[in-house]
Amino acid sequence: MTNSIAEIEDADCMLVVGSNTTEAHPVLALRMKKALRRGAALIVVDPRRTWLAERATIHLQLRPGTDIPLMNAFAYVILQEGLADFAYVENLTENFEAFAAAAQEWSPERAAELCGVDAEQIRRAARLYAQTEKAGIYYTLGVTEHVCGVDNVRSLSNLALLTGHLGRSSVGVNPLRGQNNVQGCNDVGNNPVFLPGYQLVEDEATRAKFGQAWDCTVPAAPGLRLDQMMDGMHDGRIKAFYVMGEDPVVSEPHAKQIESGFEKVEFVVCQDIFLNETSRRYADVVLPSTCFAEKDGTFTNSERRVQRVRKALDPPGQARSDLRILFEVAQALGVDWGEPDAEKVWNEFADLSPKFFGIRYPRLEERGLQWPCPDSSHPGTPFLHEGAPLRGKGLFYPVDHVPAWEEPCADYPFLLTTGRTLYHYNAATQTARSDGHLDKQARCFVEISPDDAREMALDSGSTLRVESRRGAIEVEVKVTDAVHPGVLWMPMHFAEARANVLTGDGKDPEIGTPEYKVTAVRLVR
Amino acid sequence: MATLVLLGGGACMKSKITFTLDGQTIEVPAGSTLLEACRQAGSEVPTLCHDDRLHPYGGCRMCLVEMEGAPRLVPACKTQVQADMQVRSQSEKLERVRTTIAQMLLSEHTPGNGVQEDQLQSYAKKNKVEAPLRFASSAAWEDRNRFLGFDPQACILCDRCVRYCDEVMQCSALEHVGQGSQARIQPTNGQSFLDTSCELCGGCISTCPTGALYEKQAVDADGKVKARVEQTEKTRTVCTFCGVGCVLDVHTHQRQVVKISAEAGVGSNDGHLCNKGRFAWQFIHHPDRLQQPLLRNADGHLQAASWEQAYARIREGFTRIQNQYGSDSIGFLASSRCTNEDVYTLQKLARAVIGTNNVHSCAAT
Repeated sequence: MTNSIAEIEDADCMLVVGSNTTEAHPVLALRMKKALRRGAALIVVDPRRTWLAERATIHLQLRPGTDIPLMNAFAYVILQEGLADFAYVENLTENFEAFAAAAQEWSPERAAELCGVDAEQIRRAARLYAQTEKAGIYYTLGVTEHVCGVDNVRSLSNLALLTGHLGRSSVGVNPLRGQNNVQGCNDVGNNPVFLPGYQLVEDEATRAKFGQAWDCTVPAAPGLRLDQMMDGMHDGRIKAFYVMGEDPVVSEPHAKQIESGFEKVEFVVCQDIFLNETSRRYADVVLPSTCFAEKDGTFTNSERRVQRVRKALDPPGQARSDLRILFEVAQALGVDWGEPDAEKVWNEFADLSPKFFGIRYPRLEERGLQWPCPDSSHPGTPFLHEGAPLRGKGLFYPVDHVPAWEEPCADYPFLLTTGRTLYHYNAATQTARSDGHLDKQARCFVEISPDDAREMALDSGSTLRVESRRGAIEVEVKVTDAVHPGVLWMPMHFAEARANVLTGDGKDPEIGTPEYKVTAVRLVR
Repeated sequence: MATLVLLGGGACMKSKITFTLDGQTIEVPAGSTLLEACRQAGSEVPTLCHDDRLHPYGGCRMCLVEMEGAPRLVPACKTQVQADMQVRSQSEKLERVRTTIAQMLLSEHTPGNGVQEDQLQSYAKKNKVEAPLRFASSAAWEDRNRFLGFDPQACILCDRCVRYCDEVMQCSALEHVGQGSQARIQPTNGQSFLDTSCELCGGCISTCPTGALYEKQAVDADGKVKARVEQTEKTRTVCTFCGVGCVLDVHTHQRQVVKISAEAGVGSNDGHLCNKGRFAWQFIHHPDRLQQPLLRNADGHLQAASWEQAYARIREGFTRIQNQYGSDSIGFLASSRCTNEDVYTLQKLARAVIGTNNVHSCAAT
């Protein structure tokens, strides 16, 4: 997030795109609810009528996968009606002309037809966003999990640059992170092209710095991304895996393909708190580890705030802390790192990473610290891009519509999109072990519009087979006008009805994020 | 800082005003309430119906203070400071009034089960107030949900739970019905929480001043409290679910989690939690937890093993793969639910020990 969570309640206009915030980020949504009570305007862009959408000033219930035309149409209106912040564009951005030319291609009327929304509503929404001084954008996986996920994000940053809606309290572009430590996981270098602290592997001086600190030669060749590793199981590039706390067989798209890949891999180590589908079927070695309540360390939340995680319990049985296990594995492989100690590990990371240099455990006791925090007297950074974009000039990207990897057709006429619910979390390894949560929601379901349900003579509660080109699952029907005809929605939590049996191979070409949000399916009674 | 948060980011906080409190001249930010001013000045004014996260209510009258020129006592929580006001927050008269109010509340109140702190009992104990007489109170209350427990006899009808549900959650799953001795709090239309718009966030518990609302998970199957709140050890940490990073307190007793709570005013969550953060901790003690290393045997079954055997197998496996196919044939996946330190160490293992940059996770989305 460019901004802080607490700033949300002071926003006067919230543009919420592809985020069912009240269910996926319920506590952050309380700030949005507070802003709404204060009278803030709310624009929701979402194919479902969510809690926020029901209360929105304007809900643009677009067809999944058409975000770019919609955002370009916003830009079209803003340019046509002279609502841009031309001083900001002139002084603090570059590549405006190319972007403006791309945006001119998408009149509200043209976008309305493709997106399935009303042109006048696009105009109203664009004006509202552009003309409100304290306007912030909030988005999640409804934006990123598409073949054009990166361009979707660019279409939003274009809008922020065009209106100068960046670099102030409550004003910016805010991806809401889905997991407790997605932010930190990226920050500390869990990435094939970045060493810790967003320092490029390909830079020789950087490699030398880390090589010296780690007493090794850091390999120069960038590694494989997650999706490339999954493909690599089939083409022979990947022969072994070390999996810490993930269940790729459940969480990756096109599950059957992942399973046949793991059949070919020769050696798999899984480190986790439960057996999961991947370890049960494919692990050679399973290492029992610890959950959040059993270890010391830090998580970094969505607003870049590093916060202390503290140990409340000993791990069960012979289970060991993840850190100790990794130190012992290194030792087994011939490298002695000494005694595992979370604070020492953090300090090693911070010493090597300028943006994090000022963040140390003693400073985290009260409220944590938001990076960038380059030195020990720096107070941390509540919002980014103050005064000017961090890179000097904000870069406009001309973007255009990219069709989904798999569009509905005569054989597979429905567009299925997936997401989270309030009562479960990801693969539900934790929430499905909570009986009180199962009381609320015990089974997978698929949302279908009343029109489609009538046509197929379906009632809520009946069971239905959902088929894609890659697989089929059986789920309960939930008839609701939250989705438009032709569109289906399903949660991704349930092991007995894995949505990822259905999802396909579409992914963003730049970063490999899978297109979980669009799959062509048919329904069989 | 608390006042800044309360008044919404401090937009109106620039000017200061002065007034007289208990004979002292006090300067406070314009827009402060008398309660905030008293806190700033270190004068302890009791409250029960007040929660900084809710609109001032003035219902319980515990915070009454004397204001010169006012025809009667005024509630400090609901009265804004005006320049040159003359206010007394401590006096014999006020003590008498507070005692009477506490006595009235105590006469209709039975202490809760101890899972939550009871601020009325604490006040009574500290100030040696006792109920002069007792009225029979409402009957027991049962609900089939497994998270939210409610003891109507401990309820003082301050409406904090109802207001929290309306104002903060905007769920309106609780209501105050009936009048006089029939007055009570209930889930909307007297249904089960599971059948209302309740999202099981437990915010009502977090705001309840007497522990009438409590975490059911802290009570065992035959109704016995696992540990009273003062017996638990509190560890402040961060939620393990979504990316909001709510700060929470894990309460443990005899190596078991008893409950999870969050403190108002702390963290970006300001004491709020969702149903997962507050209640989805059963997994920690679940019998399915892995308790020893497992190795796949020749028949393809996973079998219990020692750590030494597990590490030996890892050494053997990775060495063979490295020799046969090279370091770049090994991939490392980390969960974005692990700590920074865990993930940093995993990528270091990949890069510095194995010698590959094949490190990634689903954080890519």
